Amino acid sequence: MDFKIRAAKQEDCKEISRMIIELAVFEKMQDQVKISTQELERDGFCSNPLFECQVAEVSEEQKSSQGYTVVGYVLYYYTYSTWMGLTVFMEDLYVMPEYRGKGIGKGLMSKVAQVGKEKQCTRLQLAVLDWNTRSLDFYIMKGARDMTASEGWHALRFDGEALDKLAAEAPKD
Amino acid sequence: MFKLRKAEPRDVPDILRLIKELAKYEEMEDRVMLTEKDLLEDGFGEHPFYQCILAEWQEEQSNEEPKVIGFAMYYFTYDPWIGKLLYLEDFLVVEEFRGKGIGSEILKLLSHLAMKTRCGNMHFIVAEDNRSSIEFYKRRGAEDLSKEEGWRLFRFDKDSILKMAAPAEE
Repeated sequence: MDFKIRAAKQEDCKEISRMIIELAVFEKMQDQVKISTQELERDGFCSNPLFECQVAEVSEEQKSSQGYTVVGYVLYYYTYSTWMGLTVFMEDLYVMPEYRGKGIGKGLMSKVAQVGKEKQCTRLQLAVLDWNTRSLDFYIMKGARDMTASEGWHALRFDGEALDKLAAEAPKD
Repeated sequence: MFKLRKAEPRDVPDILRLIKELAKYEEMEDRVMLTEKDLLEDGFGEHPFYQCILAEWQEEQSNEEPKVIGFAMYYFTYDPWIGKLLYLEDFLVVEEFRGKGIGSEILKLLSHLAMKTRCGNMHFIVAEDNRSSIEFYKRRGAEDLSKEEGWRLFRFDKDSILKMAAPAEE
């Protein structure tokens, strides 16, 4: 199958938003998706974008059963390690089910690696759910290491109420 | 008594000193590759990759220069479900100054910054054997996403990146 990997444009946000929801459904967390096309456009295509995105596109002849030609995406941003410097963090990687097994996921991830290499990133990091064995195997096969297993790193979060509470006690400016 | 302020270029030597101290606490001191020059370019250049808050200590009625005894380094990330996030990369108060509420004040300031800059959440990672830090965060309402939702942190190192970035055979 022929496909093209290209940098996302603002007009792609509608398709990206659709696929974000599809990925959330796959991760069994669809009720946690709070943002939409407008926020993606604002946050990804402003003067200081908060993320970058690459999309996988197929030709009209190969469009999906519902008529989509944008069939995969990878959303990533840059983080900073105080040990190694600039890192690229791959936040979402998704290929629509009917287009899997054709090298599209690999193509999207390679593009991020390429972009990271150009920016001299020393690491590419990501988070995977422990039950998602198919994805775990995919990444490990490409050379990723499970840092939670090997070094015991856990991801923590302050959200909503907890964050509000902490903020309310902040020293005044 | 202590004061919190935004880091400036002149603080880079102190920032590196504290980064190494934190790495030592995490028993990974030999993994710090960054230099003062890297920190200066990366944090105070045209496009900063990180922000930094410092905690300074000055003895009451002392003429001595205040000492930098704590820091928090953070940046902004993105969750495609909820939007902008504040990511706390490094956070340390020097051992002899712990237990005075400095860490709490830094965390509160960060939360305030998060709210001010429209961040939905504040994220960070902690090593699971660092019980005292995990307790510190959980007491203040943090959730352990690795435990509760099963998220695992994965990493590709430089060699793997170069391999993946090489032109595809297709």
